[in-house]
Amino acid sequence: MTLHSTRPEARTELLHGTLDMLILRILQWGPQHGYAIGQIIRAQSDEVLQVEAGSLYPALQRLSKKKWVTSRWGQTEANQRAKFYTISPEGKKQLLREESRWAELVNAIGRIVKPVPEK
Amino acid sequence: MSILSWLRRRLHLDEDDFQEEVRAHLAIAASERMAEGSDAKTAEYASLKEFGNVTLATEAAREVWRPHWLEVVRDYADDARYAVRSLAKTPLFALTVIAVLTLSIGLNATVFTIFKSFYLTPLAGVRGSAQLAVLYTETNAGRRLRVSYPDYKHLRDHNRSFSQLMGSCLATVNFGRGRGARQLWGELVTGNYFDVLGVRAQHGRTLLPSDEVAPGRHPVVVLSNLLWRREFSSDPDIVGKTVEINRQALTVVGVADAKFHGSVVAYESEVFIPVMMAPSLGFANFNLDDRRSPAVHPQGYLKPGIGVTVAAAEMATLWETISRGGPLGDPGLSIKVVPFWRSPTGGQTYMLPAMMVLSAMGPLVLLIACANIAGLVLVRGMARRGEIAVRLALGATRARIVRLLVLENLVLALPGALTGVVLAMQALPLLLSYADWLAAPQRLFFNVELDGLVIGFAVFIACLCVLVFGFVPALRSSRVDLVRVINEDASPRGASRGRMRSALVVAQVAVSMLLLVAAGLVSQSLDAARKADMGFDGKQVAALDVEVKLNAYDEERGRVFYRKLLDTVRTGRGIESVSLAAYIPLTMSDTRATPVAVEGYVSRSREDLAFLSNTVGPDYLRTLRIRLEAGREFEDRDDEAAAPVAMVNETFARRFWNTPSHALGKRIQVGTEWRTVIGVVGDLKYTRIDESPRGCIYVPLFQSYRSSMVLHMRGEGPVSQLVDQARAFVTALDPDMPVLYARPFTELMKGPLVFLEFSAVMLFVFGVSGMVLAGMGTYGLVAYTVRQSTREIGIRMALGATASSVVRVFIARGLRLAFVGAVLGIVGAFGAGRLLSSVLFGVSATNAAAFLGAAGVVIGGVLIASMIPAARAARTNPLDALRHH
Repeated sequence: MTLHSTRPEARTELLHGTLDMLILRILQWGPQHGYAIGQIIRAQSDEVLQVEAGSLYPALQRLSKKKWVTSRWGQTEANQRAKFYTISPEGKKQLLREESRWAELVNAIGRIVKPVPEK
Repeated sequence: MSILSWLRRRLHLDEDDFQEEVRAHLAIAASERMAEGSDAKTAEYASLKEFGNVTLATEAAREVWRPHWLEVVRDYADDARYAVRSLAKTPLFALTVIAVLTLSIGLNATVFTIFKSFYLTPLAGVRGSAQLAVLYTETNAGRRLRVSYPDYKHLRDHNRSFSQLMGSCLATVNFGRGRGARQLWGELVTGNYFDVLGVRAQHGRTLLPSDEVAPGRHPVVVLSNLLWRREFSSDPDIVGKTVEINRQALTVVGVADAKFHGSVVAYESEVFIPVMMAPSLGFANFNLDDRRSPAVHPQGYLKPGIGVTVAAAEMATLWETISRGGPLGDPGLSIKVVPFWRSPTGGQTYMLPAMMVLSAMGPLVLLIACANIAGLVLVRGMARRGEIAVRLALGATRARIVRLLVLENLVLALPGALTGVVLAMQALPLLLSYADWLAAPQRLFFNVELDGLVIGFAVFIACLCVLVFGFVPALRSSRVDLVRVINEDASPRGASRGRMRSALVVAQVAVSMLLLVAAGLVSQSLDAARKADMGFDGKQVAALDVEVKLNAYDEERGRVFYRKLLDTVRTGRGIESVSLAAYIPLTMSDTRATPVAVEGYVSRSREDLAFLSNTVGPDYLRTLRIRLEAGREFEDRDDEAAAPVAMVNETFARRFWNTPSHALGKRIQVGTEWRTVIGVVGDLKYTRIDESPRGCIYVPLFQSYRSSMVLHMRGEGPVSQLVDQARAFVTALDPDMPVLYARPFTELMKGPLVFLEFSAVMLFVFGVSGMVLAGMGTYGLVAYTVRQSTREIGIRMALGATASSVVRVFIARGLRLAFVGAVLGIVGAFGAGRLLSSVLFGVSATNAAAFLGAAGVVIGGVLIASMIPAARAARTNPLDALRHH
């Protein structure tokens, strides 16, 4: 994931926020384990976004700490042990907040990149 | 599940769980690959590769859980641990820094403790004693007196500034009778004394307002804890027993709390007597009804929100109303209110000049120590250039490096501070016993306590120094040119490299110079004070204090006794002359001044015409070798049958009659008697060494009887033998006569010099310490420069330079720094001249000898410090030097 910013801290924040949003979005569709979340992000974005495990798992820890997701060990379809994450009610609220902020951001950037034509 | 593990779960990453999660991920990834056709090994390897660095991921996950402050603390703890390890590898550096800190902090802690004992917690056992305010009266001539009892009562009852006002007066009392009699310090106090100070009794009760009703009706006393333990072996039944004070029987009603030592700084008060008993105890000038009789020093705590200036203004107004209604004859008395540290009684006023100088010297030594430490840190930083370069290359920020270096210094600050406090703990008892010895037989007490405040002060100062003076060198050290270091190019290039080091040496030299000049000046002062012409010669004189009233002698018997004593002693073998006197020079007091009227002189309104007076026997001048300016001195014939006579001193004579010879035959009135002046005496120093000339009159003993006199006996042979002889004479006349003290006259002079000696000793110690530190600093820095220049030296020697020329180069460098430092130090010393002159006696603050001496020591020190490493450098083999670089 590459998002540019001038300050390294800001870059990390942007990264964290966006990744959190993506994970929550995916979990909105149902509980998943870490490996699957990574796969889904890759597949859904047509291989554009490739999250490293080194970023994903800390992100999941972050979301757990903030109580936006809960976790539980369970079995996959292939009967393998995995830790499944479920979005919590607070997580759902946070997702809404993140999504609206993202929309604002996109809108703002869009206005600059593609200005509204004069009538 | 316990609370601890619950907490741990919330504060930490669940490590096992996380590892299991990672394993599960890898298992799933591997199985997917195997499903696509890879073998187990390839699948495993590929999954792991795809995952990335597990350690980093785990670390990142851990970081999510770690609260930020914990992480910061962890960082610092790690740095500290590393600092300790790296310091252990260079023990010399660590020990040097600690030694430097120990010395300088030890000195400062000592000074601070002394300062605390005089000014912050002046009275032991009295909480907040520094907040007390003291009242006194001052005459037009600047004499400070106690407040009269009627005035005290009026002020006490009508003021609104003090929560309570008590009164006390320090006095010497005679304790016991017969051969065992002794003199003690005691206080005459008002009934609310103990209440105001908040002091309780350990046994029995303290004095109360009910003990202050009518004169003579309260024959009670409170003993100090020390006296009770020493004289009465902590007798538990002491309450109710009687003791004899000034030949009066007083009942002990209580023993004061063990922590309390009286209300006068530096004096050990051992008995506390109601002020109402003063007249019956024979304190002649203590008249409880007379407004003109100075009685007590009113003291108390001001009400909250009221400052000393406000209180002073209120007192002045009250004083106006009293003065208008009272009897005339007040020589322009005005009332003053001062904070306790400026009280006219007590050691704190005597110590003030010395204290100010010491408080200035302490930080100076500290500055030298700091420069020392800065130099050490700088040198060490340069030696670790390689290590720092590697750290920087690995990605450490400069900030982190600086933090590491500073932390190393801080790690040293704590042990340095603590050993400094230990040093102070050893030094203080030495100083105190020295002061005790100086002041003997007076009993002194200093509320010196090395408590948490002192330790906190030491730690604070140490950390401050280390932070401030270790910071800039650390900053410098972190600025490492990676390329040069990696090329192992170690030789310093350019003047800027050495500038900081040179500046440090110069700074240390300058401050040492200042300290040495001060020490030199004060030593000379002490010398001058000891040799000063006080107007008399006390060598070969034995002094013996007798109080005949203690042996139940009335005036008639007393006169007979003194006459017989003089007659007997005069015939003694080896005795040159003998006399008696009431007071000793240098120990007289303003409060004992007597009003004197001069015939034909009309005093100006409110002029202070009270003068010091001494009652002396025949041959006084001869015995003390005091100059006789005109006329004659007292003789045996000047007794009660003859015409009343008096002597005056030169200042007195010149003031009223222009010349000494004109004084002869004139008349002065002392008390109620008119006396004729028959002799003019040379001036002496009466109250202090550095007083300006003042008037003094003398009256003959046998025309103005006193029961308490000091025998002055001049003779040949060792003075200690004279002292024994004197005792023998008295005992021969009356074996039961108590001798209050018997010692060489010169020993009585020690007291006034106590504080001067004390200051001199301390300043000397400061000067030497400063020089030692500066020497160490210089040596270290020069040695380092030499080491850095081995290549240069090698080249020079290979090109034909002789060993001596190499040495000369370094010595020249050292001398140049010393010279600059010395000049700066001299400039500083000139500037500090005014501060110093308050402690100096008989020596100007620009005395050449002191400056030259200090310069000599300083330059000599730097010379030696430069020569040693330089000589070692000259011995280098040029080939070795070039190869080694």
